Formats: sequence, structure tokens, C-alpha cells
Amino acid sequence: MFFRMVRGTFARQWKKMLMIAVTVALGASIATAMLNVMLGVGDKINEELKTYGSNVTVVPQSEAVISKLYNVENGDVQTEFISQDKLGELLTIFWANNITDFAPVNDTTVTLDSSEVKLVGTWFNHHMEFVKKGTTYQRDTGIINLRSWWDIEEGGWLDEQQSSGDEYAMVGSQLAKDKGISAGDTLRVKGENGEEELVVAGVFESGDDEDDCIYTTLSAEQRLTGTNDLIKKVEVSAITSPDDELAVKAARNPSLLSGDEYDLWYCTAYVSSICFQIQEAIPEASASAVRQIADSEGKILEKTQLLMTLITFLSLLGATLGISNLVTSGVMERSAELALLKAVGAKNGQITLLVLTEITITSIIGAAAGYFMGYAFAQIIGQTVFSSSIEMSGMVAFIVVVLVIAVTLVGSIPAVRMLLRLRPSEVLHGGH
Amino acid sequence: MNKKHRMFIRMVMASLVRRRSRMIVALLAVVVGATILSGLEMIYYDVPRQMSAQFRSYGANVIFTPSGEGYIRPEDLEKGAAQFSSEELEGYTPYRYENTKIHNMPVTLAGIDFDSVLKTSPYWHISGSMPSLDGETLVGAKVAESLGIKEGDDITAVNTFEVTSETDTSDIPSYELYTDPESGETYCDHELDLHVSGILETGGSEEEYIYVSLKDAAALTISERGYDIVELSVAAMQDELSETVEKINGSSVGLSAKLVKRVTASESTVLTKLQSLVFIVTSVVLVLTMICVATTMTAVITERRKEIGLRKALGALNSSIIAEFMSEGLVLGGFGGVIGSVFGYYFAQFVSMNVFSSSITFRPLLIPITIAASVLVTGLACLIPIRSAVDVDPALVLKGE
Repeated sequence: MFFRMVRGTFARQWKKMLMIAVTVALGASIATAMLNVMLGVGDKINEELKTYGSNVTVVPQSEAVISKLYNVENGDVQTEFISQDKLGELLTIFWANNITDFAPVNDTTVTLDSSEVKLVGTWFNHHMEFVKKGTTYQRDTGIINLRSWWDIEEGGWLDEQQSSGDEYAMVGSQLAKDKGISAGDTLRVKGENGEEELVVAGVFESGDDEDDCIYTTLSAEQRLTGTNDLIKKVEVSAITSPDDELAVKAARNPSLLSGDEYDLWYCTAYVSSICFQIQEAIPEASASAVRQIADSEGKILEKTQLLMTLITFLSLLGATLGISNLVTSGVMERSAELALLKAVGAKNGQITLLVLTEITITSIIGAAAGYFMGYAFAQIIGQTVFSSSIEMSGMVAFIVVVLVIAVTLVGSIPAVRMLLRLRPSEVLHGGH
Repeated sequence: MNKKHRMFIRMVMASLVRRRSRMIVALLAVVVGATILSGLEMIYYDVPRQMSAQFRSYGANVIFTPSGEGYIRPEDLEKGAAQFSSEELEGYTPYRYENTKIHNMPVTLAGIDFDSVLKTSPYWHISGSMPSLDGETLVGAKVAESLGIKEGDDITAVNTFEVTSETDTSDIPSYELYTDPESGETYCDHELDLHVSGILETGGSEEEYIYVSLKDAAALTISERGYDIVELSVAAMQDELSETVEKINGSSVGLSAKLVKRVTASESTVLTKLQSLVFIVTSVVLVLTMICVATTMTAVITERRKEIGLRKALGALNSSIIAEFMSEGLVLGGFGGVIGSVFGYYFAQFVSMNVFSSSITFRPLLIPITIAASVLVTGLACLIPIRSAVDVDPALVLKGE
């Protein structure tokens, strides 16, 4: 009898039930979309922040500062290097997947047309392979993504993987202007250890002192300086979590952490734990955070997440109020029907159960539809703003279902109780 | 006002007052919709400004360099900085660089303004404290490491410069002067005692300098001269910045301005993404909320089919029924819009205080927009069910089918 009545309601009052289901679906889709966007926004914004360039630099352990300070008078006297075949170790650390790009940066002074010019040897779009314990790690990496703010004024980016016999270079706009260099020209540069002919692939504008530099391949630089397989500095761009108290504590001295704290710190992508792991993998190197980038990233990330959380909160509040509102009015509408049930002898408990069953079934159908709508909305947001899809979290489905059922019950129980307090004769007489 | 109009108003008001519980349900729906609308609108318009201020933690985005040879004169700096509006200009720091020796090692010394440097380089990490008195110095971590300097140490900076016949030697104690026996040129070894108040860590090239106040830099070199470079932090987008920069370079001010592309280009990339994120989110939430309001209004109107049937049976014209129900809807929409604007403003303020710790800019124009939008949506939401209701045969409705 009970199920026949429930079925009857859906068969005969399907329009009202559909209306409730549609509202629940809309509310649930807002909740789904917003929760997913909120949970995913951190990663997305973090990727966008990578346009600021590297946030970690790796230099030889005791890179003689003196050399840099003496630079004023004595020129380059750097004596310590990182060995080039150790670079692959970067791909083996715990947070290797968070390292988006890295490139060795070797700078030196060369002679071009009898004047001294700074020349940087690096990777542009280098394909690297590293074999360790039988596992092959592969990565395409280079400076292209670490200098996203460069404006290419002439020519294009240097392509390392093209196979003509020439060595290529890119020239800063200021230097190009001073020396009248344009794309396609051949430069003859002289280093400590030899001469190279470099074909200009492109002219770039960077807006800082790199505008006076020549960028060329790492191998060309190493031939010029006679430092085969040696690296002076590595720029690393990694996706990191904003620093919190634990990270600050660890930054002072990781060995002071308790066992649990250490594990948590090590397994969180703090910039300090990534630096620590790089040092573990390449013992002769010292990795440090570029504060300008790392600090700012943390701040902006935190603000964005908080902003999205509060907007999500408002949307959820709106969605829940909308749902409970309609559910309440849906129940109130049925006063005559419920009074009739009471008049023919139904108990309060039975009536309440009947109404709640009906409304919960409607809500669950609505919530299921809403979840998929919300999925679509989240993807629209992801594709439009970040041109990549937003990962769906299983937790969100759970939250949405619990939320919808709770809101439905909260919206309908007071209304049912109020109706049950009314006297059937009055309601049926039409005196409300 | 004639009788008919008065009756009309009385009917609308009576319906709103007597059917209190139903109307509260409808009003609540409209208020929620309007709150979300006005709250998100305000946040959307304020996000670029607020976020732009956050992005200033990347430090200077404009630099001034001397035009041609020489230095930047303080009065030119004033003129150049005045080209940026004082609201947008977060701060500027002049730098003058000098070569000096500490413990007989050559070190580059930078004279800066310690009061403003954290505005242009907020990412500076100082262990110890920022120098506040003359004679105090901040030492870059790399210099400190290689020279074995610690916080609290006292060091002596020595500046050696050639003394020519043009040099004003009246301030130089005679024991500091000596003559190179080979070249016969006179040099001065001027000393300055400094107290190390802190060590600077940035992870960048800033660690390779030591910093003193501009006054100490002048005392060390016994020369008042202009600045080598000035860093500015301006809370504005790239397009606006490059316009101002061109204006400065085009004017006769004795300095040339440059954008720090690395900061400005990246900032505009990220900020554009953020703004479009808030925009898309706002529009999706708005569309869904509006549909929610519409379904609630539909439910409220549909419930009153009997009343409409009765009116029609008594001889009311379709048009007058539509007019009356619509006015009810519009009054609701208006009320809801006003209440929602107020709530929305408080919500936006709450968000702004919590996220950015600064209050939101009040934009009066958003209030009429919110009210108009909520009246429009409520009106549209009422129109559809009313039209279908008046089309019904009164006999059928009243019979209860």
C-alpha cells in the first residue's frame, strides 16, 4: 500500500515533483562545479605562476662567492661545478613530477668584434634521458618555459633538435641594436678555450640585463670555455605548496623536526623540502629558493584559494536556501492531501514517512542529474579559463549527496510537522 | 488617483500581506538570488585591484635608469615618480652603488633608503633587524658567508678613491691620504665604521651586496651624487604601465624608465586568468541562481490557479489579471533586490576583509543594476506561469481538475 501511494504520487503529481527535482539538480550542480573548481584552483593557478620563471636555483655546494665578488677585478675564477651527468638525478627525487622545467645556465664572457659580451649556454628544448637502477627517466626540458616573458622580436626560438651542422644562438635586443645583428647573421665569438661560429636564430627582448646577452647551446658554451660536462648553475621551476609553520620550522634546520613532522614535511611539496631532496640527490650541489618567486607564489596561491572558498561558500548557501525553500513550499501545497490522509485515519508517523520518502527519492534523482551538470560546468570553467580539464574529486560527489539529503530533510520536516498540527476538518473545509 | 487604481494597489498589497507565508518563501528566493548577484558583482570588480596589490610582493615592476651618462638627480626622480598616481605607486627605492673593501676584500656596497626598500622588495628575508640608525648595515648572505660576518658584528668599510686637484679635501683627515710612489697619484682611504644589524637572504643576486643608508654611502665616498638606479613598485596592469613609461621617456625628465618585463608580463598573464576565472564562476552561479528563483516563482504562481479561475469567472479580463500578478511579482523583485544588495555588499565586504584584509570599494552603480536584474528575473519568472494560467477555462480550474 505504502509503495503504491508513493508510485501514485510520482505518476499523478509528476509536474510538481519534476519542479522540485529540477531545483535540486540546479543547486547540486552549483555545489558540484564550485567545490571541484575550489579544490582544483590551487594547482591551476600554480601552473600559471610558473610564468614567473624558476623558483629554485641549484649551484655547486661551496660555489666560491669570492669569485663573484672578485669578478669586479679579476674576471671569472669559478672553480667548482656540478657534473652534467648528475642533472638526471633531478628526475628521481620524491617530488620529481612537481618539477615542471629545469635548465643548466652557464654564463661566461666572450669577445665579439673586440668587445666583451656576456654569453649564456643553456638548454632550449633539450631531450634528456637518464638511466638509474634499470629505470629510464625521460624529459623534454629547457629554458623556453623558464623565460616565458621574452618577446621574440625577430626569427624564432632556438630549436636544439634540428639537425643541421650549425651552432645556433639567440641575441638580446639591446646587443642586437648596438651591433646591428639580425636573425640569420653569423657571429664569431672567442672564448678562453677557442672560437665558435654561431648562427643567430632569433632576437629577444627581455626587459632586463639579459638584453645584452647571447644565449646559445650548452655544448657550444662548454667548447668555448673548455668546461666539458660541467654546469655552473641550474634553474629549476617546481610546483610548490605555500609555506606554513612546519615549512618555516624545517627551513631553519630539518634535523630538529620530530619523526612525524619530518615525514609530513618531506612528503609535502614545500619549496624547502624540494630543495632538500635536490641536495640529497646531488650531494655536491646546494639548492636554494628564489625568495622573490617562492614567497610571492605562496601568497597569491593562498589568497586565490581563500577567495574561491568564500565564493563557493556563498554559492552553497544560495543553493541550499533555494532547495529548502522549494521543498518547503512543495510540502505546504499538499495540505489538503495530507489532511485527507489524516481524516481517513493515517497516523502522523505514516504520513511523515510517506512525504519524506517521496521527497528524498525526488532529491536523489535531482542530485544525480545535478552532479553530472556540475561536472559539465566545472569542465567549461576549466577549459575556458585554463584550457585544461578540472579533475573531479570523489569526495565532492559524497559531499553533494549528503548536503542535498540534509537540506531536503531540513526543508521538509518543519513543513510536515506544521501541517500535521492543523485540524483536518478545517483544512478540508478550505478555511486556511 | 482614481478608484480603479486604488483598488488595484489595495489588491496587490492585500495579496502580499495576507498570503504572508507564501510570499516570504518567494521573497526569500529573490533575496538569495540578489545577494549572490550583488556580492559576486562587487567581488568581480574589485578582484583586479585587490589582487594587483598582492602581486606587488614580486617587487619592483618599473625601474628608472639615468638617461645617458651620469646619475639620476633627486629632483628628476620626484618628477618621474609623480607621473604615477599616488594610489597606484606603492613605493620606490633609489640605489647608488659603490665599490668598497671590507677585511681587504672587494665588495659592492649599495646605498638605499631602508624605509622604502620593503615596499619594492617585500620578499627580503632579514635575520636580525632592518637598519634604522645611521652607521648600521645590512649584509647579503653570500658576502656574510664568505667574509665570516655575523649579525651584531662591527665592520669597517674602506673606500679608496683618487684625489685630484678638483677634489674637495677639506672633509678628509690628512692621515687618510697617501701617494702612490709609482704613478705619483694621490689616493684617499676613507673609512666608515658599520654595525651589522641583519643578514639579508633572498636566494638571488641581492645577497652579493652590503647595504647602507644613502647618507652613509655619501659619507663613505665624501660625495653627494645622484642614484644609479631606482626601483618602483606600481600596482597597475602592464598596458597602463607601458603608457606611463613611454610618457616619462618622451618627456624631458632626466631619466629613462623601463618595465621589468619578467614581472609585468607574468603578472598580466596570471591576473587575466584569475579575473576570467571569477567572471566565469560568477556567470555560472548567476545563471543557476536565476533559474532557481524562476522555479520558485513558478511554483508560487501555479499554486494560485484557482484564484485566477475565480477572477475570470467573476468577469476579470485576462490583461488585468496579468497586470495584477505581474505587479505583485515586480514588487517582490524590487524588495528582494534592495535587501539582496545590502546583504551582497556585506558579503563582499566580509570576503574582502578576510582574503585581502582591506575594505571593498563601494560602487553605487551596482545597486540599481542588482535591483533591475532581480525585478527583470522575477518578472520573467512570473510571466510564463501566469500566461498559462489565464489561458485555462475557469470552469475546469474551479472544478478542481
